[in-house]
Amino acid sequence: MAAPSLLRGGLRRLFTGLFGNGWASPPARTLREVVEVTKGNTTTIEGRIIEDAETPTPPNPSGQCPICRWNLKHKYDYVDVLLLSQFIRSDGGMLPRRITGLCLEEHKKIAVCVQMAHRAGLLPDHRPPLPEGHIPKKPKLNRYLTRWSIKSAKPIWRRGPKWCKKPFPVGHPLLKDNVKYTHKLLCFNH
Amino acid sequence: MASYTKAAQQWATFARAWYLLDAKMQPPGKIAAATVMRLEGKHKPIYHALNDCGDHVVIINTRHIAFSGNKWEQKVYSSHTGYPGGFKQVTATQLHLKDPTAIVKLTVYRMLPKNLQRRTMMQRLHLFPEDVIPEDIEKNLLQEIPQPRAVPKRLDEYTPEEIAAFPKIWTPPKDFRRSQPFYTEFDR
Repeated sequence: MAAPSLLRGGLRRLFTGLFGNGWASPPARTLREVVEVTKGNTTTIEGRIIEDAETPTPPNPSGQCPICRWNLKHKYDYVDVLLLSQFIRSDGGMLPRRITGLCLEEHKKIAVCVQMAHRAGLLPDHRPPLPEGHIPKKPKLNRYLTRWSIKSAKPIWRRGPKWCKKPFPVGHPLLKDNVKYTHKLLCFNH
Repeated sequence: MASYTKAAQQWATFARAWYLLDAKMQPPGKIAAATVMRLEGKHKPIYHALNDCGDHVVIINTRHIAFSGNKWEQKVYSSHTGYPGGFKQVTATQLHLKDPTAIVKLTVYRMLPKNLQRRTMMQRLHLFPEDVIPEDIEKNLLQEIPQPRAVPKRLDEYTPEEIAAFPKIWTPPKDFRRSQPFYTEFDR
Protein backbone atom coordinates (compact mmCIF):
# COMPACT_ATOMS: atom_id res chain seq x y z
CA MET A 1 0.00 0.00 0.00
CA ALA A 2 1.19 3.51 -0.70
CA ALA A 3 0.08 5.10 2.61
CA PRO A 4 2.08 2.90 5.10
CA SER A 5 5.21 3.13 2.93
CA LEU A 6 4.89 6.94 2.92
CA LEU A 7 4.79 6.99 6.71
CA ARG A 8 7.69 4.56 6.98
CA GLY A 9 9.89 6.82 4.93
CA GLY A 10 11.39 10.14 5.92
CA LEU A 11 7.95 11.49 6.88
CA ARG A 12 8.05 9.35 10.03
CA ARG A 13 10.47 11.74 11.71
CA LEU A 14 8.25 14.75 10.93
CA PHE A 15 5.15 13.06 12.34
CA THR A 16 6.78 11.86 15.59
CA GLY A 17 7.89 15.42 16.25
CA LEU A 18 4.41 16.81 15.64
CA PHE A 19 2.70 14.35 17.98
CA GLY A 20 5.01 15.13 20.92
CA ASN A 21 6.01 18.53 22.37
CA GLY A 22 7.84 19.88 19.32
CA TRP A 23 11.28 18.19 19.04
CA ALA A 24 11.69 17.17 22.71
CA SER A 25 12.83 13.55 22.94
CA PRO A 26 11.33 11.25 25.60
CA PRO A 27 13.43 11.04 28.83
CA ALA A 28 16.07 8.39 28.20
CA ARG A 29 17.55 6.20 30.91
CA THR A 30 21.22 5.33 30.96
CA LEU A 31 22.51 2.18 29.33
CA ARG A 32 22.60 -0.71 31.75
CA GLU A 33 24.46 -3.96 31.67
CA VAL A 34 22.28 -7.06 32.11
CA VAL A 35 23.68 -9.39 34.81
CA GLU A 36 22.08 -12.73 35.58
CA VAL A 37 22.91 -14.35 38.94
CA THR A 38 21.57 -17.79 39.95
CA LYS A 39 21.61 -18.57 43.75
CA GLY A 40 20.03 -21.92 44.53
CA ASN A 41 16.55 -21.81 43.03
CA THR A 42 16.33 -17.98 42.64
CA THR A 43 17.63 -16.25 39.51
CA THR A 44 18.26 -12.51 39.84
CA ILE A 45 18.40 -10.57 36.57
CA GLU A 46 19.78 -7.12 37.28
CA GLY A 47 20.46 -4.12 35.12
CA ARG A 48 23.63 -2.47 36.44
CA ILE A 49 24.55 1.08 35.38
CA ILE A 50 27.87 1.06 33.53
CA GLU A 51 30.32 3.35 35.31
CA ASP A 52 32.69 5.10 32.89
CA ALA A 53 36.40 4.58 33.45
CA GLU A 54 38.31 7.45 35.06
CA THR A 55 39.40 9.90 32.35
CA PRO A 56 42.59 11.89 33.07
CA THR A 57 42.12 15.62 33.68
CA PRO A 58 42.71 17.72 30.54
CA PRO A 59 45.67 20.15 30.57
CA ASN A 60 43.38 23.17 30.10
CA PRO A 61 40.12 22.53 32.04
CA SER A 62 38.84 26.07 31.36
CA GLY A 63 38.36 25.38 27.65
CA GLN A 64 34.90 25.50 26.07
CA CYS A 65 35.18 22.51 23.73
CA PRO A 66 37.09 19.22 24.21
CA ILE A 67 39.73 20.27 21.65
CA CYS A 68 40.53 23.50 23.52
CA ARG A 69 40.59 21.63 26.83
CA TRP A 70 43.22 19.22 25.56
CA ASN A 71 45.23 21.97 23.75
CA LEU A 72 44.77 20.34 20.34
CA LYS A 73 43.43 23.43 18.59
CA HIS A 74 45.56 23.48 15.42
CA LYS A 75 47.40 20.23 15.95
CA TYR A 76 45.38 17.44 14.32
CA ASP A 77 45.03 16.24 10.75
CA TYR A 78 43.23 13.53 8.74
CA VAL A 79 45.98 11.10 9.85
CA ASP A 80 45.09 11.26 13.57
CA VAL A 81 42.55 8.48 13.41
CA LEU A 82 42.62 7.78 17.17
CA LEU A 83 41.27 11.29 17.80
CA LEU A 84 38.81 11.34 14.89
CA SER A 85 37.32 7.94 15.75
CA GLN A 86 36.04 9.36 19.06
CA PHE A 87 33.65 11.67 17.20
CA ILE A 88 32.12 9.24 14.70
CA ARG A 89 29.35 6.67 14.82
CA SER A 90 29.94 3.03 13.98
CA ASP A 91 28.66 3.58 10.43
CA GLY A 92 31.10 6.43 9.83
CA GLY A 93 28.83 9.46 10.33
CA MET A 94 29.68 12.36 12.66
CA LEU A 95 28.08 12.65 16.08
CA PRO A 96 25.96 15.78 16.65
CA ARG A 97 27.66 18.87 18.06
CA ARG A 98 25.21 19.21 20.97
CA ILE A 99 26.33 15.78 22.21
CA THR A 100 30.09 16.04 21.72
CA GLY A 101 30.27 19.66 22.92
CA LEU A 102 32.59 20.89 20.15
CA CYS A 103 32.57 24.50 19.01
CA LEU A 104 31.31 25.12 15.46
CA GLU A 105 34.67 25.66 13.72
CA GLU A 106 36.27 22.62 15.37
CA HIS A 107 33.23 20.50 14.53
CA LYS A 108 33.56 21.51 10.87
CA LYS A 109 37.31 20.82 10.88
CA ILE A 110 36.81 17.40 12.43
CA ALA A 111 34.05 16.65 9.91
CA VAL A 112 36.40 17.56 7.05
CA CYS A 113 39.23 15.44 8.52
CA VAL A 114 36.85 12.50 8.99
CA GLN A 115 35.75 12.78 5.35
CA MET A 116 39.37 12.81 4.17
CA ALA A 117 40.20 9.85 6.42
CA HIS A 118 37.25 7.85 5.01
CA ARG A 119 38.32 8.58 1.44
CA ALA A 120 41.93 7.62 2.28
CA GLY A 121 40.66 4.29 3.65
CA LEU A 122 41.97 4.92 7.18
CA LEU A 123 38.63 3.95 8.84
CA PRO A 124 37.85 0.55 7.31
CA ASP A 125 35.55 -0.66 10.11
CA HIS A 126 33.26 2.40 10.18
CA ARG A 127 31.24 1.55 7.11
CA PRO A 128 27.43 1.73 6.71
CA PRO A 129 25.74 -1.68 6.75
CA LEU A 130 25.17 -2.92 3.20
CA PRO A 131 21.89 -4.77 2.53
CA GLU A 132 21.87 -8.44 1.46
CA GLY A 133 25.64 -8.76 1.06
CA HIS A 134 25.74 -6.41 -1.92
CA ILE A 135 29.31 -6.34 -3.27
CA PRO A 136 30.53 -2.95 -4.53
CA LYS A 137 32.41 -3.28 -7.80
CA LYS A 138 34.34 -0.01 -7.74
CA PRO A 139 38.10 -0.08 -8.51
CA LYS A 140 39.93 0.52 -5.26
CA LEU A 141 42.35 3.36 -5.96
CA ASN A 142 44.54 4.78 -3.22
CA ARG A 143 44.10 8.45 -2.45
CA TYR A 144 44.72 10.96 0.35
CA LEU A 145 43.83 14.59 1.16
CA THR A 146 40.73 14.41 -1.08
CA ARG A 147 38.64 17.55 -0.70
CA TRP A 148 35.66 16.67 -2.90
CA SER A 149 33.68 13.45 -3.00
CA ILE A 150 34.71 10.89 -5.60
CA LYS A 151 31.46 10.99 -7.55
CA SER A 152 31.28 14.79 -7.66
CA ALA A 153 34.77 15.44 -9.12
CA LYS A 154 34.72 15.90 -12.89
CA PRO A 155 37.77 15.65 -15.21
CA ILE A 156 39.47 18.94 -16.06
CA TRP A 157 39.62 18.47 -19.84
CA ARG A 158 41.44 21.76 -20.60
CA ARG A 159 43.76 23.00 -17.90
CA GLY A 160 44.73 26.17 -19.71
CA PRO A 161 48.09 27.87 -20.45
CA LYS A 162 50.91 27.99 -17.90
CA TRP A 163 50.04 31.43 -16.57
CA CYS A 164 46.41 30.53 -15.74
CA LYS A 165 46.27 26.78 -15.16
CA LYS A 166 43.23 25.30 -13.45
CA PRO A 167 44.61 23.86 -10.20
CA PHE A 168 43.90 20.50 -8.58
CA PRO A 169 42.46 21.15 -5.08
CA VAL A 170 44.25 19.20 -2.33
CA GLY A 171 43.52 19.18 1.38
CA HIS A 172 41.04 21.69 2.82
CA PRO A 173 41.47 25.43 3.54
CA LEU A 174 39.82 25.02 6.99
CA LEU A 175 43.06 23.37 8.09
CA LYS A 176 45.31 26.20 6.92
CA ASP A 177 46.12 27.30 10.48
CA ASN A 178 47.55 23.94 11.48
CA VAL A 179 50.92 23.95 13.23
CA LYS A 180 53.72 23.29 10.74
CA TYR A 181 56.91 21.60 11.86
CA THR A 182 58.73 22.27 8.55
CA HIS A 183 59.24 25.57 6.78
CA LYS A 184 57.37 24.37 3.69
CA LEU A 185 54.25 26.38 2.76
CA LEU A 186 50.99 24.44 2.92
CA CYS A 187 49.77 24.18 -0.67
CA PHE A 188 46.03 23.72 -1.24
CA ASN A 189 46.18 23.82 -5.03
CA HIS A 190 48.53 21.58 -6.97
CA MET B 1 88.52 4.15 1.61
CA ALA B 2 92.01 3.63 3.01
CA SER B 3 91.88 -0.16 2.50
CA TYR B 4 90.65 -0.25 -1.14
CA THR B 5 93.01 -0.44 -4.09
CA LYS B 6 92.91 2.46 -6.54
CA ALA B 7 91.41 0.24 -9.21
CA ALA B 8 88.67 -1.03 -6.95
CA GLN B 9 87.81 2.51 -5.82
CA GLN B 10 87.63 3.75 -9.38
CA TRP B 11 85.40 0.84 -10.33
CA ALA B 12 83.08 1.56 -7.39
CA THR B 13 82.89 5.27 -8.30
CA PHE B 14 82.06 4.83 -11.98
CA ALA B 15 79.97 1.63 -11.84
CA ARG B 16 76.29 1.79 -12.69
CA ALA B 17 74.19 0.92 -9.61
CA TRP B 18 70.68 -0.56 -9.39
CA TYR B 19 68.23 1.05 -6.98
CA LEU B 20 64.84 -0.22 -5.79
CA LEU B 21 61.86 2.02 -4.98
CA ASP B 22 58.53 0.83 -3.56
CA ALA B 23 55.71 3.00 -4.90
CA LYS B 24 52.99 1.60 -2.61
CA MET B 25 50.72 4.44 -1.31
CA GLN B 26 53.16 7.03 -2.73
CA PRO B 27 52.31 9.99 -4.98
CA PRO B 28 53.75 9.44 -8.50
CA GLY B 29 55.21 12.98 -8.63
CA LYS B 30 57.45 12.46 -5.59
CA ILE B 31 58.41 8.97 -6.84
CA ALA B 32 59.41 10.47 -10.17
CA ALA B 33 61.44 13.25 -8.52
CA ALA B 34 63.53 10.69 -6.62
CA THR B 35 64.02 8.44 -9.66
CA VAL B 36 64.95 11.31 -11.97
CA MET B 37 67.75 12.30 -9.56
CA ARG B 38 69.15 8.77 -9.75
CA LEU B 39 68.63 8.32 -13.50
CA GLU B 40 70.50 11.51 -14.33
CA GLY B 41 73.28 10.74 -11.84
CA LYS B 42 72.83 14.00 -9.94
CA HIS B 43 73.19 12.15 -6.63
CA LYS B 44 76.90 11.56 -7.47
CA PRO B 45 79.72 14.07 -6.92
CA ILE B 46 81.21 13.01 -10.29
CA TYR B 47 78.10 14.18 -12.17
CA HIS B 48 78.48 15.81 -15.57
CA ALA B 49 75.83 15.94 -18.30
CA LEU B 50 78.17 14.20 -20.79
CA ASN B 51 79.46 11.65 -18.27
CA ASP B 52 76.66 9.07 -18.74
CA CYS B 53 76.75 8.42 -14.97
CA GLY B 54 73.06 7.58 -14.52
CA ASP B 55 71.97 4.53 -12.55
CA HIS B 56 69.20 1.98 -12.98
CA VAL B 57 66.01 2.37 -10.96
CA VAL B 58 63.47 -0.42 -10.43
CA ILE B 59 60.03 0.78 -9.27
CA ILE B 60 57.68 -1.88 -7.85
CA ASN B 61 53.99 -1.73 -6.83
CA THR B 62 53.14 0.96 -9.40
CA ARG B 63 49.58 -0.35 -9.33
CA HIS B 64 49.25 0.91 -5.74
CA ILE B 65 50.27 4.53 -6.18
CA ALA B 66 48.17 7.17 -4.39
CA PHE B 67 47.21 10.53 -5.82
CA SER B 68 46.52 13.43 -3.46
CA GLY B 69 43.27 15.35 -3.85
CA ASN B 70 40.79 14.30 -6.53
CA LYS B 71 43.44 13.83 -9.22
CA TRP B 72 42.24 10.32 -10.04
CA GLU B 73 39.07 11.93 -11.39
CA GLN B 74 40.39 15.34 -12.44
CA LYS B 75 43.78 14.65 -14.04
CA VAL B 76 43.54 14.08 -17.78
CA TYR B 77 46.23 12.51 -19.98
CA SER B 78 45.97 13.72 -23.58
CA SER B 79 47.60 12.43 -26.72
CA HIS B 80 47.16 12.73 -30.50
CA THR B 81 47.67 9.90 -32.90
CA GLY B 82 48.65 12.31 -35.70
CA TYR B 83 45.60 11.46 -37.78
CA PRO B 84 42.64 13.86 -38.02
CA GLY B 85 40.14 13.24 -35.24
CA GLY B 86 42.79 11.37 -33.30
CA PHE B 87 42.82 13.54 -30.17
CA LYS B 88 42.44 11.14 -27.24
CA GLN B 89 41.82 12.29 -23.67
CA VAL B 90 41.77 9.79 -20.85
CA THR B 91 41.34 10.34 -17.09
CA ALA B 92 44.02 9.06 -14.71
CA THR B 93 41.64 6.34 -13.46
CA GLN B 94 40.99 4.98 -16.96
CA LEU B 95 44.68 5.09 -17.90
CA HIS B 96 45.68 3.33 -14.67
CA LEU B 97 43.15 0.55 -15.17
CA LYS B 98 44.31 0.06 -18.75
CA ASP B 99 48.05 0.07 -17.89
CA PRO B 100 49.17 0.25 -14.24
CA THR B 101 52.69 1.43 -15.09
CA ALA B 102 51.72 4.18 -17.55
CA ILE B 103 51.20 6.97 -15.02
CA VAL B 104 54.61 6.57 -13.38
CA LYS B 105 56.28 6.13 -16.78
CA LEU B 106 54.74 9.34 -18.16
CA THR B 107 55.55 11.26 -14.98
CA VAL B 108 59.22 10.24 -15.07
CA TYR B 109 59.47 10.88 -18.83
CA ARG B 110 58.11 14.40 -18.45
CA MET B 111 60.40 15.18 -15.48
CA LEU B 112 63.62 14.13 -17.25
CA PRO B 113 65.58 16.85 -19.11
CA LYS B 114 64.28 17.22 -22.65
CA ASN B 115 67.44 16.12 -24.47
CA LEU B 116 68.65 13.11 -26.43
CA GLN B 117 69.75 11.32 -23.26
CA ARG B 118 66.15 11.11 -22.06
CA ARG B 119 65.47 7.95 -24.07
CA THR B 120 68.56 6.16 -22.74
CA MET B 121 67.59 7.14 -19.21
CA MET B 122 64.07 5.76 -19.76
CA GLN B 123 65.64 2.49 -20.87
CA ARG B 124 67.36 2.33 -17.48
CA LEU B 125 64.00 2.70 -15.70
CA HIS B 126 62.22 -0.60 -14.89
CA LEU B 127 58.58 -0.52 -13.80
CA PHE B 128 56.60 -3.39 -12.30
CA PRO B 129 52.93 -3.18 -11.32
CA GLU B 130 53.25 -5.62 -8.37
CA ASP B 131 56.25 -6.63 -6.24
CA VAL B 132 57.09 -9.55 -8.56
CA ILE B 133 60.51 -8.88 -10.13
CA PRO B 134 62.43 -11.09 -12.58
CA GLU B 135 65.31 -12.91 -10.90
CA ASP B 136 68.13 -11.33 -12.92
CA ILE B 137 67.00 -7.81 -11.98
CA GLU B 138 66.56 -8.83 -8.35
CA LYS B 139 70.15 -10.05 -8.23
CA ASN B 140 71.44 -6.68 -9.42
CA LEU B 141 69.71 -4.53 -6.80
CA LEU B 142 72.08 -2.63 -4.55
CA GLN B 143 70.08 -0.29 -2.33
CA GLU B 144 66.50 0.76 -1.62
CA ILE B 145 65.55 4.41 -2.00
CA PRO B 146 63.52 5.58 1.06
CA GLN B 147 59.83 6.28 0.37
CA PRO B 148 59.10 10.01 -0.05
CA ARG B 149 55.75 10.00 1.79
CA ALA B 150 55.14 8.66 5.31
CA VAL B 151 52.22 6.23 4.95
CA PRO B 152 49.62 6.85 7.73
CA LYS B 153 48.42 3.97 9.94
CA ARG B 154 44.86 2.74 9.52
CA LEU B 155 42.64 2.43 12.59
CA ASP B 156 42.78 -1.37 12.57
CA GLU B 157 46.59 -1.27 12.42
CA TYR B 158 46.82 0.29 15.89
CA THR B 159 47.30 -2.19 18.74
CA PRO B 160 44.59 -2.28 21.46
CA GLU B 161 47.19 -1.00 23.95
CA GLU B 162 47.81 2.11 21.84
CA ILE B 163 44.07 2.69 21.48
CA ALA B 164 43.59 2.33 25.25
CA ALA B 165 46.52 4.64 25.98
CA PHE B 166 44.93 7.45 23.93
CA PRO B 167 42.71 9.46 26.34
CA LYS B 168 39.00 10.00 25.76
CA ILE B 169 38.60 13.64 24.77
CA TRP B 170 34.93 13.91 25.74
CA THR B 171 32.45 11.89 27.80
CA PRO B 172 28.88 11.43 26.59
CA PRO B 173 26.12 12.82 28.87
CA LYS B 174 24.36 10.30 31.14
CA ASP B 175 21.13 10.30 29.16
CA PHE B 176 22.78 9.86 25.74
CA ARG B 177 21.57 6.75 24.03
CA ARG B 178 23.59 5.60 21.01
CA SER B 179 20.68 5.88 18.58
CA GLN B 180 20.22 3.87 15.43
CA PRO B 181 21.24 5.51 12.17
CA PHE B 182 18.43 7.45 10.52
CA TYR B 183 17.56 4.81 7.99
CA THR B 184 16.73 1.21 8.83
CA GLU B 185 16.01 -1.77 6.62
CA PHE B 186 12.33 -0.84 6.38
CA ASP B 187 13.04 2.63 5.07
CA ARG B 188 14.10 1.62 1.57
